[in-house]
Amino acid sequence: MNIYINGTGCISPQDTAQGGPLLAAPREYEQVRLATVDPDYKQWIDVKQIRRMSRVVKMGVAAANLSLEAAGITLPDAIITGTAYGCLDDTGVFLTKMVNQQEEMLTPTAFIQSTHNTVAGQIALLLGCNGYNNTFVHRGFSFENALLDAIMILKEGTAKHILAGGMDEITNYSHQVLSRFGIYKKAPVKTMELLNSPDTGTIAGEGAAFFALGATKDPGTVAELTGVSTLYKPLWEGEVIGHIMKFLEEHRCTPADIDLLVTGRNGDIDQDEMYEEVAAALFPDHAEASFKHLCGEYPTAAAFGLWMANAIIAEQAVPEAAVFYGRAPQKINRILLYNHHQGTHHSFVLLTAC
Amino acid sequence: MADLKAQIIEQLNLHEVAPESIGDDQPLFSKEGLGLDSIDALELIVLLQQHYNIRIANPEEGPKIFQSVRTMAEYITANQTIKA
Repeated sequence: MNIYINGTGCISPQDTAQGGPLLAAPREYEQVRLATVDPDYKQWIDVKQIRRMSRVVKMGVAAANLSLEAAGITLPDAIITGTAYGCLDDTGVFLTKMVNQQEEMLTPTAFIQSTHNTVAGQIALLLGCNGYNNTFVHRGFSFENALLDAIMILKEGTAKHILAGGMDEITNYSHQVLSRFGIYKKAPVKTMELLNSPDTGTIAGEGAAFFALGATKDPGTVAELTGVSTLYKPLWEGEVIGHIMKFLEEHRCTPADIDLLVTGRNGDIDQDEMYEEVAAALFPDHAEASFKHLCGEYPTAAAFGLWMANAIIAEQAVPEAAVFYGRAPQKINRILLYNHHQGTHHSFVLLTAC
Repeated sequence: MADLKAQIIEQLNLHEVAPESIGDDQPLFSKEGLGLDSIDALELIVLLQQHYNIRIANPEEGPKIFQSVRTMAEYITANQTIKA
């Protein structure tokens, strides 16, 4: 059984919500923390409801709506999300009030909205969807596991249309805490030069990307979600290379059948070494595109990568801003998306043009 | 009452609403009024505690107290007078 991407929606540090050609006017930043370009959320959310929503909820609801609109679906059978950090902003508000007010007079709104499943819940409430609703909170595999769940449900036949997505936000608190781990660059860097950076650290990002998945394709469908696989804490690059070979074999193809490699390079010289090794071993002559200089690094950034890969298949061209190496063939039939988050969570998504 | 309206807007995150657009007698919880809900009611209870040190002893009084900005203001005035 084939699984199709019938619609996509994305809110990111690029102008991805407004439609039009992919990355026609890419935004270049010179900072270590990228924030989403926010559309007018009131086009999807009632003013009275929007006042209680933090940014990650708004971006999730907006991306979900965009993907459903693109697929021409008003009510999916299931909603599945992946988020590593959840609704951090409201968590911060709630915890700060607990401390400042010595656990007295706590208001309900921030508490209610602070859980990881708030986004999936709000989408369901707004759509009136009483179907299966699940949220995966698995760090760098949160989005991938949401996809795997969606695939399994579609293959079981218990749902025809599933809305699946990934989202994460940065807040001042989370950025301060994560910065202490040395994850980010010490000084601002131009985003279009990030991937050639000679030192460690990357740039922080955030965003939401949703996909309307189905077992049947619509007239507007451009890509089939051929396969998803994850690999946790490989000991060395050989394990990743072997995993990719096996993954491709399972889907009856070889590296030679891949037209474009899309990688999660993030400008950290240590973390990007894995992509170098994999590309050199399996895809030495392949064109390679990257996406984290456009959206920043966050645990569910692969959702942005998948959104971009689907758009590349739709346009049959790699936008200049996304090119890392080489030139893609005229016909882009198969894309392998390889991403890893902090060297521990490696994921692989295979897309095939319809 | 202007201060109370500003506090309600802040507490309920109603930044789209101008204080002067809220009528003194406009119902807070009906669709014809501000259209607040039960979560807002809890926020308003906390507002009274935080800003006026007033605790509502009898929850059944809630609908009467939170009928409009005027009824809230009258309740605050009455209870502050008693405290003084």
